[in-house]
Amino acid sequence: MAYSKENEVFSIQTFNLTKRFTKKKHKGIFGFLRRERKKERQKSKHPEVTVALDHVDIKIRSGELFGLLGPNGAGKTTLVKCLSTILIPDKGTAVVNGFDIRKQTSMVRASLGLVIGGERTLYWKLTARDNLMYFASLYKMPRKQARERVEELLETMKLSDRADERLEDYSTGMRQKIAIARALLHDPPVLLLDEPTLGLDPTFSRQIRTQIKELSEKHGKTILVATHYMDEADQLCNRVAIINDGKVVAVDNPNKLKSMVKETELVEIACYSPPQDIEKHLKSLCPDVDIVTLIHGDESKGNPSKIKIIGGNAEECVSTVIDGLRRKNVRISSLNIGVPTLEDVFIKLTGAKLTEGGGQ
Amino acid sequence: MDGGENEEVRNNKSLLGEMYVSNTSKSHRLRETKCPTGFNWTNLKAESRAIWECNIKAWKIELAYPISFLRECISPLIFILPFIIYGLVLIGGRYSENLELLVGTGDVVTFLFTGYLIMGFIGTAVWAMGFSIRREQWFGTLESIFVTPTNRLSLVLGMALHSTVHQSLGTAIEFTVIYLIFGLALKIGGILPALGIFALMMLALYGFGILVSALSLVLKEGWIVAEGLHSIMMILSPVAYPLIVLPNLAQQASTVFPTAPALVGIRAFLIEDYTPEVVGNIFLHLLALDIAWILFGIFVFHLSDIYVRRRGGLEKY
Amino acid sequence: MSRNALQQSSLKSNFFIVWSELVKNLKFLLAYPVVFVFWAIFPIFWFVPFVLQGQAFVGGLQSQSFAQIAGTPEFIPFIVLGAILNSYVLTSLYGMGESIRREAYRGTLDYILSSPCNKAFILIGKALSESLSSTMFAISQLAISILFFGIELTIGIIMPVIFIIILLILGLYGMALILAALSLRYKQAHDLAHTLEYVFYVFAPVRYPLGSLPLWAQIFGRLLPLTYALIAVRSLMLLKESLSFVYLEVLALLIIDGIVILVGFYLFNWMEEKTKKSGTISHY
Repeated sequence: MAYSKENEVFSIQTFNLTKRFTKKKHKGIFGFLRRERKKERQKSKHPEVTVALDHVDIKIRSGELFGLLGPNGAGKTTLVKCLSTILIPDKGTAVVNGFDIRKQTSMVRASLGLVIGGERTLYWKLTARDNLMYFASLYKMPRKQARERVEELLETMKLSDRADERLEDYSTGMRQKIAIARALLHDPPVLLLDEPTLGLDPTFSRQIRTQIKELSEKHGKTILVATHYMDEADQLCNRVAIINDGKVVAVDNPNKLKSMVKETELVEIACYSPPQDIEKHLKSLCPDVDIVTLIHGDESKGNPSKIKIIGGNAEECVSTVIDGLRRKNVRISSLNIGVPTLEDVFIKLTGAKLTEGGGQ
Repeated sequence: MDGGENEEVRNNKSLLGEMYVSNTSKSHRLRETKCPTGFNWTNLKAESRAIWECNIKAWKIELAYPISFLRECISPLIFILPFIIYGLVLIGGRYSENLELLVGTGDVVTFLFTGYLIMGFIGTAVWAMGFSIRREQWFGTLESIFVTPTNRLSLVLGMALHSTVHQSLGTAIEFTVIYLIFGLALKIGGILPALGIFALMMLALYGFGILVSALSLVLKEGWIVAEGLHSIMMILSPVAYPLIVLPNLAQQASTVFPTAPALVGIRAFLIEDYTPEVVGNIFLHLLALDIAWILFGIFVFHLSDIYVRRRGGLEKY
Repeated sequence: MSRNALQQSSLKSNFFIVWSELVKNLKFLLAYPVVFVFWAIFPIFWFVPFVLQGQAFVGGLQSQSFAQIAGTPEFIPFIVLGAILNSYVLTSLYGMGESIRREAYRGTLDYILSSPCNKAFILIGKALSESLSSTMFAISQLAISILFFGIELTIGIIMPVIFIIILLILGLYGMALILAALSLRYKQAHDLAHTLEYVFYVFAPVRYPLGSLPLWAQIFGRLLPLTYALIAVRSLMLLKESLSFVYLEVLALLIIDGIVILVGFYLFNWMEEKTKKSGTISHY
């Protein structure tokens, strides 16, 4: 999508958004009886702090499908919670649909639909229709309008014939559909989706992604999708922000992000039963590369582990790497040179892994 | 909605429930949201509807547990029975000379019944309202409802409405059974003014309930505070005995809670003789408590909301 | 490994299961010191209204009408002892009875039930931890009662009282085991515990002597282990009788204990099989 800078309209904009949490240590049952050592006493005077968001500045255009990609603990959910006013940031602010999250909380809440926390955020003892009607009243919709809207959404989600069953009898995927329907009740211009496909099987995940895409393309909604599935971010999003340890390290469209890793800079080897010290061993064989990382796969299900070599002269050390692996009796199943994924971009930019299983 | 680049001043318009802001110094263009806010008739109607729907939701969930529903209906009766049996055993009959000396009536059953009328409603304030927020945390729905534009207090008041109706049902059952088994000597003419006092008491209890819900938001073991407050209120309220039996300090402390003056007033109308001055004082006392508890409760709730949103952990239970 | 060695390791491991369960539950309890202090003190305050009511109706601390049925005119110690023993009811019903549901809620029940050990030892561990915590609370409440409510405790009655309380605990945990078994299937443990609490509330002589109830209610009350425990403990502490005087109550407790424990274990195993077949074990 091309935008002229003069006419740029931002639905979501954050300004230096920062959020810190103090770490709590539990000393055990009789911890209060134990005398603290001097070091521990000094530490307790200055408690450790987790920086969940570190001066985050992002701008999301109106109608854009924006991805927030990062591993667990990166700060995605914290950012979503700050934008939805569930959490008050320590520093900075954000503007959602033109309303400040600190000063105009009611209007921010009226402007957005939120999907967070999965299936447990609904009343399982109520039917799908009852759940949606209730939340419609909380979004201050007139009753007649709410009824029509609820029927429309149940039809869209293909759950009309099960609308009067309790959610406790639904599958996880069906509950997630109702959670998304809830977010759409009041037709908000902005949607915040936190891990919308987490825990869903591939069929449901595909359905939900299709729906998200439609909402953006056909209905012009501004959508922020927080996810640790790189495929999801890659397929869905116009632009992706990579976040790690509370910091946004890169923002661009997926293709441009992937081009940060040159074809010669990436070698991916799928293998079985690599030893634990393989990263160190290969790094010593290829000192010029930037990163050697092992991502464990679920080998019992036939998913091999992956060794990624990124940066420097990765392509040139292919033969050295293969020799090194053979000497360690590692069974190689495939070799891939130069087709970077967002995960490779993430690893290159942060040095950390996105997921252990390599995502979905 | 357009905002010209030269426009300096923010415009806020409220028009038939629509509200939009144009902040055009940086060419932000917005999509309108149809959601009433502010102090106007449309918004008040919407908040009232939210209170009603919250009440309906609570009923639907409660009726999904029929054993629990039935048990709660008879709980006022269950709680009063031991007091009545104990009272009858202590004095070997229904009439207590000592009680007559203290309050002007010696009929222990009627005395206890009028006291127990309000017992369940203390539970409304402490448990139904006080734990409405906590219950949403257990369900996992707290964040989902807090992210809506409805005022959080409307949710608490929705639970209050549900519990008040529920308790009224239980009290009606209690009245019927006690009347049939023991008989009750109540003045019919005193029912309406007693209801007036009851209504004033409930307003103050609602304020108290909002305070307890604020505490349960902040404290993970808030049920202990709630149970403690419930026990204290029970002891300081003349439910099963006249106030004069309490030590002086406790009698003075009881004036802080609406249940003490309310019970004195209700009994004055339903059982005893009353003087207009005494009753007038009770009405004024309750009005003052209403204003104090409601304002204090809302203030603490507002602070707790900000505190919890700063600290994080709304979803944790 | 020889068969004897397997049996030995089995006995040792069974003891370890009980010990681990006991320690785990105590850690949970002590992780919330406020909760601990609450249960150690508050159950006494729930009976203050009865004490004040008594004073208001009688105009003193003794009642001859009360003595005709209860055997003692001092109603305050009568009620206070009822409060202390009643706290065992609360902790066993809500603690033990809901312990299974709490495991399901935490998501650990599947793992516990799929482990190779005999589940009876896990339940014994839970019961022991609840008993231990109840006893700690009871000791604290008794100390308060001795200081403020005129309860007298002589060395000679300590052992007989402990014996009665052990029998009471066994009976209560048998009932709680039945509750735990039902909660595997019916998922509404809190409802069941609450309902049973109401039964104790009205039909057990916690606040008034059993003889003050109508005949049909007395018969119902005599099905509850708490009834016999209360009669026995009050006879020992208030009427200064010996253990042999309450032999009928002790016998009744033994019979009730035997029945409820056997029924409880059988029902638990049966319900476990049924819920495993239906696949609803970890639902909550």
